[in-house]
Amino acid sequence: MSLTPQPDWRASIERRLTRTQEFVDDTDPEALAVVLVSMGSLLAAFVGFLLASPWTAVPLGVFLIATGYGWARHQALVARAVTFAMTTVTLVTLGLIVVFIFAESIPAFQYETASVFGVSVPGLGMFTQARWDAVSEPVRYSLLPMIHGTVMVTTIATLVAAPLGVAAALFIAEIAPPRVRELVKPGIEILAGIPSIVYGFIGFTIINPWAGGAFALNGGSTYLFVGIVVGLMALPTVVSVAEDALTSVPDVMKDGSLALGATDWQSMTSITLPAAFSGVSAAVLLGVGRAIGETMAATVMLAGIPRISEPLVNVFYGYETLTSLIARGYGSANGVHESALFAAGVVLFVTVLCLSIGSQYIEARMRRRLGGIE
Amino acid sequence: MSRDSGRQADTVSRRKYLLTSAAVGAAGLAGCSGNSGDGSDGSDGSDGSDGESGSDDGSNTIESSSSGPSTVTAEGSSTVYPISNKGSSYWNSNSPASDGEYWGANDESSVAGWDQIETDMNIADYFASLYGFEPSGERSNPPFATRVALSHSGTGCEAVRDGLVDIGNSSGPITAELDISEDERDENYVDHVVGRDGQPVFVSQAIYDAGVEQLTGEQIRGIYQGDITNWSEVGGPDSEIFVVGRAEGSGTDTSFRLNMLGDADAPMDVDSRFGQNQQVQQVLQDNDNAIGYMALAFSGSGIQAIGIEFEGTLFEPDADAENTIFDSEYPLNRDLHMYTRINEETPDGTDMREAAFLNMFLTEFGQQTFVEDVNYITLPTSDIEAEREKLPDQA
Repeated sequence: MSLTPQPDWRASIERRLTRTQEFVDDTDPEALAVVLVSMGSLLAAFVGFLLASPWTAVPLGVFLIATGYGWARHQALVARAVTFAMTTVTLVTLGLIVVFIFAESIPAFQYETASVFGVSVPGLGMFTQARWDAVSEPVRYSLLPMIHGTVMVTTIATLVAAPLGVAAALFIAEIAPPRVRELVKPGIEILAGIPSIVYGFIGFTIINPWAGGAFALNGGSTYLFVGIVVGLMALPTVVSVAEDALTSVPDVMKDGSLALGATDWQSMTSITLPAAFSGVSAAVLLGVGRAIGETMAATVMLAGIPRISEPLVNVFYGYETLTSLIARGYGSANGVHESALFAAGVVLFVTVLCLSIGSQYIEARMRRRLGGIE
Repeated sequence: MSRDSGRQADTVSRRKYLLTSAAVGAAGLAGCSGNSGDGSDGSDGSDGSDGESGSDDGSNTIESSSSGPSTVTAEGSSTVYPISNKGSSYWNSNSPASDGEYWGANDESSVAGWDQIETDMNIADYFASLYGFEPSGERSNPPFATRVALSHSGTGCEAVRDGLVDIGNSSGPITAELDISEDERDENYVDHVVGRDGQPVFVSQAIYDAGVEQLTGEQIRGIYQGDITNWSEVGGPDSEIFVVGRAEGSGTDTSFRLNMLGDADAPMDVDSRFGQNQQVQQVLQDNDNAIGYMALAFSGSGIQAIGIEFEGTLFEPDADAENTIFDSEYPLNRDLHMYTRINEETPDGTDMREAAFLNMFLTEFGQQTFVEDVNYITLPTSDIEAEREKLPDQA
């Protein structure tokens, strides 16, 4: 098996080499030199940055000068190199953040080592018991209560944001007269611009005291109302993206349906929505992503006690989510406690990664099924 | 067509805008780097700053000359912040002695403790000159500036440990905040106590009105460890107790566990935890069955401090009572710390700039103005003497 692809690789490497050779031969040597100097100094600056060297500014300056000169003389080539470099910078930034979060969380994973069938697995203790107490003995860092909280809040938020958002998007894209659309769309986008602490503040000063009295709760922190507030915050994202997806369905398809005698509503449900399904699900998943990552509103509205509600689905408790745990604890945590907060970050990162991959997968599948339509 | 051309004009103007803003940004960057260069040059000639001055001086416009001493920076606990920040504001104002309200005396009024000072110099000039700095003689232009940032006790201790700031404000002992031994503390830090904070226990107004005006230490322990869950068990109305704690591991949390529950890592069973005093205050006002503890400075309407009986002594929230929660004997009182770092440049731990600033808090004027006036507890005379011993000799 391993022998067959090798000639392919070799051939493709050779092809690539010849192509590079041709490219080098065709290009003005001065332009080539400028690009090499510029990219080389950027790389050197990056290495300097990683080593925290005081000389980092020198290669960075060389990069700026070389790029500036190249931009004036050989714009097309330099632009190619610079845009490529900027994309790399984005990816490298992501990579560095991921490495940092994982590296910082290692002590917590080591602390919470548990053994299954005689094999000790680092970090398993975070998911097999439910005690979080960073101060008094026994000190344990279970993430289960926070995962439960995040799941509760996200589920409720999705139940709020998905139907409301898709319905609103359908209305704006298909039903509303143009004038209404022009008014409503900016309105929704303004909703997206309200900072989350404002929602949280309203929740803390108005909803929590009210809920405490209305439902005879001790305190007033509930996953129910945090979920609703977060759902409202995710709503504009869902509406905007879903509306874009619905509008991008070609008129030809709808016209065909109408020509066959279907009503507006029938074309919407049987043509527009299925055709835009991938975009609409991407909208909902983006909304879910927003809900998972929402921090301020959850932090100020929740009680801040890592505990699992009883029974599990009781929404009239509001303890803690992964994000609010970090927001509440970062100031006073140190040692393994701090590292456990990074572990919460790792869990969040992995979740959002899965969501993102999931949405890509749905999109790819829908594209395959509908063939040719994006 | 006209609409299209309109759009095009739009994009052109946006591109122009981006270009312009980029140019402005670049100019700003250039300005910044120029400034910080000057600043770090200047601090080389100063008296042993810890190398944090580069970032400080970049944004500092208060200093008149670049060769002056660098800004004293402090960071940390929200509990120590009112003291530290008020001191810093007074310092930076450098009010003249004729002001009467903030410094010095005139026909109408004089500041507290003025009879021990009696100087013609401005406020910062006076305290700085005690440690050998040149007075500037101008208001709003102290010999060196001070700046206080607000975060948490742990963050403040970490910042002073890592040399990010000169002074780390902390409401809990640094040994607990950084998890270090007392030997490590004595080796690396100097602990300046500038005042005391009582942590009164507050209850919602409704509970106070229903007759819970005092609790024993034992009862409070029961409430915070989940053994007592209904107000009727301690002589109150038949309603559940809403127990409010503080952020896990914070300075306030640690000292409450230590002083009230007997151990810095004693277990607790509370219904809610909040990071900020203001949040506790708000929640106690919003609920009619809550109990919480917070810094004295945050007492207000809708909540009531209650008396606590420890080992037969009743400490009352009333300042005129025999034993009050302001006494240093009250077990929930804690020292408010300003830590400085011992390093190669300052083997004593406190350089002249820091000493000049800290000394201001250790006078009768400082205690009255910066400690008592923001509702904290002043240090007794003997403690002030002991604290002054920790500072380097005056010039």
